This record gives sequence, structure tokens and C-alpha cells, in this order.
Amino acid sequence: MAGEGRSRWPADGANGQVTQRRTGEDRDGFQVRSGRIGRSVMRKDAEEKVTGRAEYTADVSAWGMLHAALLASPYAHARIVSIDTQRAITMPGVRAVVTGADYPQRTGLPIADRPLLAVDVVRYAGEPVALVVADELYQAEAALRQLDVVYHPLPALTSPREAFAPEAVRLHPDLAAYDVQPGEEVWPVPGTNIATHVRIRKGQPESVWSTCDAVVTCDVSFPQAHHAPMETHCVIASVAPDGCVNLVTATQSPYSVPEAIARTFGFRPSDVRVRTPLVGGAFGGKSSVYLEPLAVAATLAVGGRPVKLRCTREQEMRSMPCHIGLEARIRLGARADGRFVAVEITDWFDGGGYSDRGVIVTRAAAQDCTGPYRIDHVHCDAYCMYTNHPPTTSYRGFGHPEQTLVMERAIDLLAEQLRMDPLELRRRNAVRPGDTTPTQARLMRSSVGDVEGCLTRLRSLLPWDGPPVEDRDGEVIAKGISCFWKTSSTPPDASSGALVYVNEDSTVTLLSGLVEIGQGTKTTLAQMVAEVLGLAVEQVRVVMEVDTAEQPEHWKTVASRGSLLAGNAAVRAARDARAQLAATAAVVFQCRPEDVCISNGYAGCPYTSRRIPIGQLSRGYTFPDGHTVGGFVVGRGSYTIERVTLLDPATGRGVPGPEWTVAAQGVVVAFRPRDYTYRVLRAVTVVDVGRVISPNLAEGQLKGGMSMGLSLGSREGYVYGATGSVDNNQLRVYPIHRYGDQPEYRVAFLETPNADAPWGLRGLGEHGVIGMPAALANALSNALGQPVNSMPMTPELLWRLHTGAEVNDR
Amino acid sequence: MIPFDFEYLPAHTTAEAVAYYVSRAKAGQSPLYCGGATEVVTLGRIGQLETGAVIDIRHIPSAQVLTQRHDQVVAGAGVTLTQIADSVLIAETFPLLAASAREIADRTARNQITLGGNICGQIFYREAVLPLLVCESAVRLAGPNGLRELPMDRVFDQTLRLQPGEFLVQTATDTVLAGAPWVYVKRRKMGSVGYPVVSAAAIRVDRDIRVAVSGVYPFPVRALDLEQALNRRELPLSRRIEAAVSTIRADLVLDDVEAARGYRLFVLRDVLREIVESLDA
Repeated sequence: MAGEGRSRWPADGANGQVTQRRTGEDRDGFQVRSGRIGRSVMRKDAEEKVTGRAEYTADVSAWGMLHAALLASPYAHARIVSIDTQRAITMPGVRAVVTGADYPQRTGLPIADRPLLAVDVVRYAGEPVALVVADELYQAEAALRQLDVVYHPLPALTSPREAFAPEAVRLHPDLAAYDVQPGEEVWPVPGTNIATHVRIRKGQPESVWSTCDAVVTCDVSFPQAHHAPMETHCVIASVAPDGCVNLVTATQSPYSVPEAIARTFGFRPSDVRVRTPLVGGAFGGKSSVYLEPLAVAATLAVGGRPVKLRCTREQEMRSMPCHIGLEARIRLGARADGRFVAVEITDWFDGGGYSDRGVIVTRAAAQDCTGPYRIDHVHCDAYCMYTNHPPTTSYRGFGHPEQTLVMERAIDLLAEQLRMDPLELRRRNAVRPGDTTPTQARLMRSSVGDVEGCLTRLRSLLPWDGPPVEDRDGEVIAKGISCFWKTSSTPPDASSGALVYVNEDSTVTLLSGLVEIGQGTKTTLAQMVAEVLGLAVEQVRVVMEVDTAEQPEHWKTVASRGSLLAGNAAVRAARDARAQLAATAAVVFQCRPEDVCISNGYAGCPYTSRRIPIGQLSRGYTFPDGHTVGGFVVGRGSYTIERVTLLDPATGRGVPGPEWTVAAQGVVVAFRPRDYTYRVLRAVTVVDVGRVISPNLAEGQLKGGMSMGLSLGSREGYVYGATGSVDNNQLRVYPIHRYGDQPEYRVAFLETPNADAPWGLRGLGEHGVIGMPAALANALSNALGQPVNSMPMTPELLWRLHTGAEVNDR
Repeated sequence: MIPFDFEYLPAHTTAEAVAYYVSRAKAGQSPLYCGGATEVVTLGRIGQLETGAVIDIRHIPSAQVLTQRHDQVVAGAGVTLTQIADSVLIAETFPLLAASAREIADRTARNQITLGGNICGQIFYREAVLPLLVCESAVRLAGPNGLRELPMDRVFDQTLRLQPGEFLVQTATDTVLAGAPWVYVKRRKMGSVGYPVVSAAAIRVDRDIRVAVSGVYPFPVRALDLEQALNRRELPLSRRIEAAVSTIRADLVLDDVEAARGYRLFVLRDVLREIVESLDA
């Protein structure tokens, strides 16, 4: 494919329109040819979704399908004295009852630290203890109530700091014996409750604290929270007579499922086939393989018949991995002119009873712990702690909303101490090409984007203007800002493949293993393919459902990596198809392949006015006399992430991701001191996305993320009972943003190209969330006149901070 | 998924409903009267409610009434909260009832939840009863012993004290009280949908304020001693509020995922202040 990036002829040669605009010096010579890039198009899944015809996993039914129901532990920490299944198994319709005794093996990625169903001990309230399979769901649920389980409650570890204490009970005494997925960067500490300990060591903070003119220390904390997708987890599993395992599952990681199932049950990964229809929201909560092994255990118990296992909302909130909680301490020092000198951060993440992806979230928070600022001396210890709370996994932003809240609160406190404008303080320390990250990765213009530019634009767009607090009708109008960056925590071999078929009617079909989770990336991929082939976006069909047996692998639909990984693969596949079409057309036109111009569904060449529909070239070209040249056109493309290296366990030195998307955010709140209530009036994001491919989709992602971040910061969070169970595991008592709660949103894009990505784009799927809790905390701190360092920032929290009332103040 | 079987029995007269109740109770089916059945669904699926028979009273004509007659505003137990919140008649004659109904749950749920269901259900906030408490409405009940009409203060103590087999058919409120100067305040943990930290209905009758609150205790209450303290107009406002709050049984105040006890009392103070500021002539 080398050298075919620049067409010698205008894409739309027929009507003479040529767009010469270049988007930067990217090495593949991406070029805007026809305006399909940078223009809003209708989502490919819009019609089926607005008409209610879209199919999700729970809509799938199979002949002879049975239903499974899960029994969950009511205790956060308990010994299982006995499980009596006798009454349940005789209930009408019941086919099988499965307990931990049936599956002694452990499962879980990257650390295989959990039994399929609890064995001897339960480590969180909501932990799956037994499964009932029955003809009908109501029969399975009725039988659940006939299971007799006797527990002996044990004292629970209900906070990560408590779990860190040397005298704390060990929740996983066999930690040293657990399997760790090869290649994953996770460092458990046997003999403790530490599931991973990530060390970042850059410079020598201890030697420079004395040179600081100002030093601030603060503690930041927040509870675990719910992802709240509309669609709860659902799996349909069966085993075919030939031994192949078939799964239909709502997941972001269909290609991770075979390995997990294979490791747990002893199949070959290639014996496991996974289908993923449209996913009804995920937000990171569907990235881990958690429910699938249970569904496989269920089908194995009934001779491989299809079994559907779907979480209720309550189970989704108690049993499935959630957003990680955090307790953190930060110490940040600066010179009198505001330049940051050193930072020391300790994060104790609330990883829950089983670590799941929480250990990788911990690594991500540590790798980018400083935010987008130049700091030469960095010391960070990030611990993912086992506690008796629900297990944890990725959540939109993957450790970065957490890390950003810690850092950005410290910066505002430092600004106050230095009597310096918070925005100016950030601008002065903004990271630039040539600087290094906490993991000592050297930044280039291509890899980091324009932090200062984001801050400058935020200043006028918010606007950030002078003293942030003013009075109006008894309300305090206050503003807060934050600044952040994010790179992915992608393994160095994260890959994506794509296929482009040219159809006989001159349309094309794109196959990609990327999952449509509501983010719209498959529409963006269609735009990219349309651009390369000079087609209208409507002429590109993209298969929405993923089938691991049919689509080329896409690592995982996570980490804002879809447009980079799948985008590069799709572009390369489209170019490959174009090259194949051009080779055949060149024979017909009797010209050089590079002289062939493919656009609007036709192949043409400057030596003739004749044009051939690309459909007529798609199975080779047949001359009038019957002989055929060329062959069936299958465009192949693939991409593997570049320049990522593993982190050194001792210092963290390494390159965790290929590029950093940077952004600045701000909020304006109206605060009522009388009762501590507030409204968010406006929220602003300025983000350097490299290149906007689809403005409406990009804006939608950013605004959706901002809504999620404001909801998380202002009201969400698990409330635990005295024994560590989640007490608000229903949406009627777990508040989230609803229509009407949203403020005015403003989004602005900067475009500093990323040389590795199609048209210079950078990931943006998670970024709306990341700085919102921090900006809100800064605004409310300004409004209240005292630090707000924990979430959720409810009126009750503000009242408590202001009056000093204790949690159980009577 | 509701994992138990039950009989669904739509009744078309009060007598039919009661007959269903008597026969199903005798058969050991633990029958329940229902309006919109939202609790049968939401509590049934999580094992907090179980029954062998559900008697739907929505189709009984007298439970569907929403009218004004003989100087009374009459509302049937089978009327939905949406119908109350959207009713022009209620907006004109009993705006406090509309205000309380409008703040319960969300629109989709209000389309289904009935006045009777909100007052007689398990979920203990029962905010639709607050206007009826301050207006000393009458309730009309049907049961195995026939129909009876009672004033609210005789039959409501934390819950509507119904005889076995009895159900609420209508509420009737004096037009003058229903039209009295009113204020309704609802404070939540956050946002505009959810259970109350404190909700309060208040009216002014002559010079006196009447208040009923929910969210403070695990039941709605109109507390006469609180009203008395609040109406001591000879005292400065802050003293009146402190005196009113001091009547609260602190040991009974809710302390849960919605709000801690101390915060509920803080909010209650502010709500009472808002009520007095708005109603004190």
C-alpha cells in the first residue's frame, strides 16, 4: 500500500471539485478530498434505534432456551457454612442448580482471584453464590428463594485505607498462588490486601521540597459508583454438539471472552465463538468478562442447551464490577513564580472483593498522575486494595477522572496559597513538546496537543474573568476550572483488523470487530471508508453486530481507541480495495494503476471519458468476449498500536499509550448558601482532538461525557450499610442526571494533528467526563469558601463541610 | 420478573371488590387491593411483596371521580397522580393536592400511580396524603361492613388505619380549606426526581399555619405541637422555628441513604422557615 496515499488526480474529477486542505504532516498523507471528513452525517444505527427495531442481547432468543437466575450473597464478608439445594432442585421447571462446589477453579482477568461462584467465603455483598437453571425465568427465580444458605458473618473491610493497615485481615491469603494473565502489568503484594502496587519514580522529590516556596497537602476521596447503562449485562450461552461454545453477550470486549472462557473451563480459545449485537451503553462496565463464565457454567449444567442469564438492575449494581472508589493524599510544591517543583501522591483505590480491571485502572491513574503539567520530581504510589465492597472495573476515563480530581484540587489550593490566578498557574505549568510525563515518556507535538491553547480558549468561552465569586439575588455565582490529559493503557500489541467488500451494485461493506456501544464509531469508520473510496457515506454499509468468527479482531472497544485502531485498519482496508480496483481498471483502461481515479462509485482515467462502475470491477472485469481480468476484491487492513512499551515495575518508566488528548474544562454554578443547594448553569470543554471527523458525533460524545461527569461529581455513589453492602442499589434511590438537570453545554475543538492516526485525530470518547468532577469541586470550593475534596458533592456534603457536622451527627 | 403466581381480579363495583377480598382471604391467598399496581411490580420482583390475589379497584366508577360537589373537592382513589397534577379542576380548587402529586416519582410512574395507591402503599413517604392531613379531609372507605366516611385525623395515624378487607374509595375536602393559601415544599438529596429529604404541605387558616411533613419520620405526619410552636407569632422567627423543631422526636428521624438525621433536621428548619416566610400574613 506504500506510496498510494496521495492520489495524483482529484477525487471528484468529474465535477472538478478539489479540496486541497491538508490536515497536517501525517506520514500517511491523509488528505481531505471531498468533505466527508469534518462533516456531520446521520448515524448508521439511527433508524433502527429510533424505531425501536434495534436488537440487543436480551432480545435474542434461541430454540429450547432455558433461563438462569443468580443467588447473591447478602453479606459483604462471611463464611459459607452450608448450601442446601434440595428444595430448590425439586421446584417446577428447574433443570439444574450450580454452586461453587461444582467449579473449584478460579477465574478473572488479569488476576484469576475469584471463584466462579463463591467457595467457602463471600467477599462482597452481591457475590454470586448459586445459579438456578429452569425452563422459565420466573421458575428459576422462585427456586432461588428455596435455596438454603447458611452464612457466618465476618467483620468486613469497608475502606481501602482500613484494608491497607498492617493489622487488617487478609481477604486473599492465597494471593501468591493466583494466576496472572501473561503480559498484564499488575503487581500484587502477597501477605497484604494489595492487589497491585504501581510505583512512579521520577526525579528526587525528597531533595527538592526545601526549595519550594509553597507546599500544599490535601486528602481526596470518593465512593464506588454505578455505570448506569440502560442495558444491563446479558449473556446467552450454549455448547454445540461438536464442543464449540457459543455466546451472545453484551460486552465491549468480545475478543477477550474466548481466552477467559478457555482459561476457566479448559476449552481452546478458538472453540469459543462470541456474538455481540448492539450494546445499550457500556461506559467501561462491559469491558470485563464477568457474567460470561457464569452463563457457560449454566449451559454446561444442562448439557449445552442455550441458557439466558440477564442481570436485574439490582444485580447490576451489587454483583457486577463497578466504578472504582478512591482515598488519596497529595503533596504539591511550587516556586513563588508558580512553577511546580515536586509532587507526591498516594492513591488507595477501593478495588473491592475481587480486583478485575481495577488493578489496571490503578496503573492508569498513576501513569498520568500529574495531569498535563511539567513536573520534574514525581513520586506516586498507587495501590489497588482488596476490600469487602463490590469488585471494580474500567469506567469512562479509566483512572483519569480520579487522578484529575486529586491533582486539580491541589492546584487550586496552591493558587490560593500563592495568590495566583488558577488559570494562569495552570498555563504557566502546561506541558509542552520536549517535556516528559510521570513515566518519563518524552512528548512530541504530535503526541501531546496544545494544553495552553485549550486554557486560552476556555478563558474566553467560560468565561474565566477575575474573581470567581459574586452575589446575585442571594445566590453565589462561582466558577471552577480543570485541565487534564489522557492516554490509553493499551497493551503494546493492541490490534484491529478490517475488511472492505466491494458489492456488485458499487456500494461497499465494512467489517470491523469494533462494538457499537452508542458511541457512533462505526458511523465514523464508514465516513473514513467513504472518504478513501470517494463514495457517499450512504454507499458504505457497516455491519453493526460483531461475531468473533466473522469479523476481524478488534482488541476491545475501550480507552477511546476505536477511531485510532479500527480507523487505521478501516482506512488501510479501503485503500487496499482501491488498489485492487485500480489494478483491474488499469488493465481495462490500458493505463498505469496510479492513473486510475476511483470516485462516486466509478473508476475513471484521464485518457478516456469512459467510466466503469466499481461493482463491475469487484469480481474482476469481464470483457465482452468473456475473458476476465483481476479477481474478487477483498480490502484488508490492520493496525497494531505503536511505540507503547511496558512500564518498569520499580520506577514506572515506559510509554503507556501512543498519544495524549488534552483538554480544559470549566463550570459555572449558582449556589444558595441558605440551604447549600446549587445548580450548574454552564459547563465548558475545550479539547484538542487532533481532527474532528464528525462534528455532531464528537460534540455528542463530549456533552454526554460532561453530563456523566457532572452527575458523578454531584450526586452519584454507592452508600454502604454498616456491614459494607451497597444500600442504594436501585435507581429509585441512586440519583443520576435526568433530562432537565443538564446545564448549558459549550464545546470547542482544537486540532493539533496526531501523526499516527487517520486525518490526525485523537481519542475523545471518554474525555468529556474526566475534568468535570474536578471543575465542579473547584467551583463549589470557591462558592463555599472552603475546600470540597470529596464526591458526591451533594448539598448534604456541603452542609457537613461548612458546619463540621459528623456523618452520624444526631 | 414476578416469581409468584397470583390472580388478577378487576372489580367494577365496591361490593364486587369486597366480595373478591372476602373470598380470596378465606382461601388463604392474602389478597391485596391495588390501583396502578406499581408496588406489586416493583416490590414483587425483589421479594418485598407477595400475594395470591390482586384486586384492581381502578375500574370502580366512584374511585374514578375527580369533581367538586356540595362544597367538597372529591378525588377517587383510582385517579392517577398525573390526572391530579394535570387537572384544571384540581388546579382551581385544590392546588396544594396538585402540587404534592406533581412532585412524586417521575411522569412515567405518575401515569400509573394512583392517589389511593400512594396513600395506602408500602413506600412510606405517601406524600399525596399531606394536603389531606392539613385540610382535614374525609376519607370514604368500603369494606365487608359496608361504606363509612371518617375524618382524616381519626383514621390516619402513620398509615390509613383500615379494617381488614377495607379500601379507600374517595377523599373529600372542604372547598374552603382546599382553596386556602398554601405552600408545598419538597427537598431531595439532589435533582428534581426522587424521594424527599423533607417534603411539607402547609396552608394558612385565619392566622394559623397548618403543616404536614414527610421524609422526617418513616411516615407522614401532621403534628399539632409543631404547628402550635410555629404559630407563636409573638416570638421572633428563628425562635419559632427552633421551638417547632424541638417538638421533633429525634430518635424517630430517618437516617438512611437519602440523608443523615442531622441533615434532615437542618433541611426541616429551612423548609419551615420557607413556609412561614411564604404564609405569614
